[in-house]
Amino acid sequence: MIASLGWNGVVSHLHITPRAFLPMQAQAAIELVAGEGIVGDRYRIGTETGFYSEKPEEGRQVTLFEAEVLEAILRDYKMEILPEEHRRNVTTTGVPLNHLVGQRFRLGDCLVEATRLSIPCRHIEEILGKPVFDPLVHRSGLNCKILEGGTLRVGDAIRPL
Amino acid sequence: MARHIELRVAEARPAGPGIRRLTLRDPDGWPLPRVRPGAHLDLHVPGVGPRAYSLCGDPSVQDAWTVAVKLEAESRGGSTWVHGLREGDPVAASMPRCTFPLAKGAARHVMIAGGIGVTPFLAMAPVLERAGAGWTLHLLHRGALPCPDELARWLASGRAVAHDTAVTPRPSLDALLGPWQPGLQAYCCGPLAMIDAFEQATAAWPSGTARAEHFVPPILAPDPSARPYTLVLAGSGAAADVAAGGSMLAALRALGTKVEASCEGGICGACKMRWLEGEPIHRDRVLTPEERQTHLMACVAGCASERLVLEA
Repeated sequence: MIASLGWNGVVSHLHITPRAFLPMQAQAAIELVAGEGIVGDRYRIGTETGFYSEKPEEGRQVTLFEAEVLEAILRDYKMEILPEEHRRNVTTTGVPLNHLVGQRFRLGDCLVEATRLSIPCRHIEEILGKPVFDPLVHRSGLNCKILEGGTLRVGDAIRPL
Repeated sequence: MARHIELRVAEARPAGPGIRRLTLRDPDGWPLPRVRPGAHLDLHVPGVGPRAYSLCGDPSVQDAWTVAVKLEAESRGGSTWVHGLREGDPVAASMPRCTFPLAKGAARHVMIAGGIGVTPFLAMAPVLERAGAGWTLHLLHRGALPCPDELARWLASGRAVAHDTAVTPRPSLDALLGPWQPGLQAYCCGPLAMIDAFEQATAAWPSGTARAEHFVPPILAPDPSARPYTLVLAGSGAAADVAAGGSMLAALRALGTKVEASCEGGICGACKMRWLEGEPIHRDRVLTPEERQTHLMACVAGCASERLVLEA
């Protein structure tokens, strides 16, 4: 439970897109639905239209990505990746996402459970036209299922249980 | 549909002799992926397969893509289908690919278009103009102009020059291009005979300073030195024997690999794949020397070694 100690994060950006390939668009708030996904997003279970929807997975209900990784890639690879380009829904600041696999935590008032680390895909290189695959290996975010839904806003706290 | 971009025909109208211009949008008006000037779009023609068309709208317009398609007398199915589309019809497309990019850092851009080959330059023109670049578009056409509304602004400003070969002698490409000088970048899109002439006119230019975009793939001569090889997929370990001169694309499909392919002649970039081991023989017209170090075009590539391993 070491990972449960000593961190307090915040929602920096929220993004959704309704269909595969389309650009992620910034939102001030998104609606998480327990057991399904995000209203209007491509991976909401029951209305999937995402690139990987042929392989449904409950952990794609909401996906998270660290703002710190964007800074690290800019530092290490001189490559700018914008928050709307990593194609995860929630950009976090101050949350050690890689430590949270298998754990439950609060995302604003919502409760989520991390199922696995996200992995990068060549698909994102096709969309962005940037060689982002290698820099994203082992730090491509976190897949979560939604246990308790609600409205999530930019600026909301992310905290361990 | 998850592997395709779903679009709707928002507007369909004539745009010159035998040409239909389509404006395509997301069904809900969501922004579309950003495109680079010179990119083309594969439209998935029902019962026919993907067909590539240059995007001819301003790339800064985020919620619409535009193509202008000439009805070909010997249509392979694509242009006939496009000309039958009506507003509101659904269209599936792949991600646009840019195999005909603007040259970064060039001081002056000279473009040679043949007829409907003007389309990629209509997308490049506003980008160059906003960047304050020096550029000229020479359009060779017979009779009525293709895409006259889109060209009007550039003809009026003198950026574009139309050469109607029905009333004036066909200008020589040497005269239009002038001698190469540092900073000059030339482009050509048009019928095969025009591209051949362009490649002759620029044969002595430094590598990369003259770029051509084909409408239809050039016919590749059989390679007399082709040899059989074993194709191996790194992911599954599956392997297939490819006969001398055989199609890698067909072998991949026989192995059950889903490969996007469009022109099947090495120009469109759809079936680009990463190779890991072996000695590929490239034969495409689209990859740069750097890209060939890691990738090949499965539709035309062969192999000089006994074994070729692909990331698939």
